[in-house]
Amino acid sequence: MLKYVFERVLAMLVTLAIIVTMGFMVIRLMPGSMFEGNPDMSPEQLAALEAKYHLDKPLLVQYGYFLRDAFTKGDWGTSLKLYPNVPVWEILQTRIPISMYINVYSLLISLPIGVILGIVAAIKKNTWVDYTVSFLVVICISVPSFVFATLMQYFFAFKMEAFPIIYEPTAVGMAKLYSLALPIMALALSPIARVARYLRAELAETINSDFMLLAKTKGLTERQATINHGIRNSLLPLMNIIVPMFTNILGGSLVIETIFAIPGMGGMMVNSINAPDYEVTLAILIFYSIISLSTILLVDISYGIIDPRIRMGGKK
Amino acid sequence: MDKPILEVKNLSVSFNAFSGTVRAVRNIDLELYKGETLVIVGESGSGKSVTTKAILGILPKNGRIDSGEIIYQGEDMAKYKEKDFYNIRGKRISLVFQDPLSALNPIMKIGKQITEALILSGKYDKKSAKKRAIELMEAVGIPKPELRYEQYPFQFSGGMRQRIVIAIALASDPEILICDEPTTALDVTIQSKILELINEMKAKNDLSIIFITHDLGVVANMADRICVMYAGKIVEFGTAEDIFYRPAHPYTWALLSSIPDLDTKEKLFSIPGAPPNMLAPPKGDAFAQRNKYALAIDFEEEPPFFKLSDTHYAATWLLHPDAPKVEMPEILAHRIERMKEANGIVD
Repeated sequence: MLKYVFERVLAMLVTLAIIVTMGFMVIRLMPGSMFEGNPDMSPEQLAALEAKYHLDKPLLVQYGYFLRDAFTKGDWGTSLKLYPNVPVWEILQTRIPISMYINVYSLLISLPIGVILGIVAAIKKNTWVDYTVSFLVVICISVPSFVFATLMQYFFAFKMEAFPIIYEPTAVGMAKLYSLALPIMALALSPIARVARYLRAELAETINSDFMLLAKTKGLTERQATINHGIRNSLLPLMNIIVPMFTNILGGSLVIETIFAIPGMGGMMVNSINAPDYEVTLAILIFYSIISLSTILLVDISYGIIDPRIRMGGKK
Repeated sequence: MDKPILEVKNLSVSFNAFSGTVRAVRNIDLELYKGETLVIVGESGSGKSVTTKAILGILPKNGRIDSGEIIYQGEDMAKYKEKDFYNIRGKRISLVFQDPLSALNPIMKIGKQITEALILSGKYDKKSAKKRAIELMEAVGIPKPELRYEQYPFQFSGGMRQRIVIAIALASDPEILICDEPTTALDVTIQSKILELINEMKAKNDLSIIFITHDLGVVANMADRICVMYAGKIVEFGTAEDIFYRPAHPYTWALLSSIPDLDTKEKLFSIPGAPPNMLAPPKGDAFAQRNKYALAIDFEEEPPFFKLSDTHYAATWLLHPDAPKVEMPEILAHRIERMKEANGIVD
């Protein structure tokens, strides 16, 4: 098991290194430069600035400087345009919590709801219950989250005045959750649908498996067999889709945050690319990569815990 | 003879498929007596597994019992609701599956799979259930049961898994054990060991067994009575001796001829053609198409059972008094002669 975790972590670090390298190159290869097109700046000033930030050097040398600063000083760069002279790490620190807040909450509510809907649909397969769930699933998967967000904002917040229209930055505790309820719900709909659809398919197949039949013939009731054998065995493959689901939430969050005026990562990412502010863009990229990779790691490890065949791999 | 402990009367089962209704079992009668091994033999799709699934109420959702009775303990199980079966399955009648590789839950410990039903039935607590499970594992020939108890199915070989499935089936001391081709998925050397085990368990636990197979050779040593099924109907039934030494139905002849025989150099016989499409069972005798002895009437009308002796019946028009006298294939006649000699039986 320890070896398994170690291998996973190693693979994750290698992947991260590749992402950072490619991200760095791509961002700097974009047309235009950070200080170009500023009418107030003389060519000499421009050259001086570029020299200061090594932008006049070849790409690989720039990368070398970046790695050196990152590893020796823990310096991931400084924002030069969006927030001049503020280290990117400090900027992220103010932005990450609120984004993670809505992302994690929508993941947390989507899993149990999705699981329950999926189980109900599988057990009541080909009845009106199943058809209703499946119908809602198709809608929630195919309609993008920002459409739901806008509709919710209009109906629940504007017309019914049940929720605040935009995020209230001063709220704390339950009031904060309340003011973020709409974006969280809007983000959760698609993951709920994905989980429900996936689990319905898995469970419907497991229910027809031989070991379910054996469970029944050895005297278990339908309910006992489904709970003890069906559901646990179908939850395993569900781990597969948690990763794409979470990245899906992260992606949806970028737009949703703008709709509800939430000062999270979403707005900053778009702004930093448009500015352009290389260091900030790269920092956001690294942040999202780390989040996705850790989710994958977490899933891989929990796979091992749930499935003895993986946990004990090879050892007979 | 005593009263049978399980009696199937005029049972018909059909399935709703996309292309129509499949009549998998058509009006069959079966009797199982205490302490005997009843073998149901027939090729794939002849309805033998479906019959046992109907008995245990575990037909797939698209299957249903059209008519007939399944009498057990004075009650008609064909009319049972799902929850009525909870006192039957595992506790009175158990099933051993064909494929032990898929019958065990891959992510549950072996021990838990054996004790699960015991504990849920409320008769055992955790500790006594474990003791019982280890006894069972020992009885079915699992070495180091304490260690194996904590292991998972993927750590067991196919034969070992089938032993576990048998242990699970026997856990609650059932009266009837249904074996649905329990050796088909295993290789030949393991097959005979599993058969020995089933025989041993039968003697020890006072079981009555319904044994389903497509291979008569496998069960020659354990069968008391044999039913031959074809296309959802029973075509011949009798004691093991009746079927092996005095077969009367052309389909039984064909089945017996297709058992490999080491003592002759003849080419192995195979039955020509394929079983009929059960979406539209043929008129008359279902086997007529593939039967070189078929009479004109076989294509018109289904043959009734003709009595050969008190224990032996066959459904073929060949036994009708007006039918031309037909002898079984010579190869088979020779073979039966040799078998009789080998076993010292004189008619």
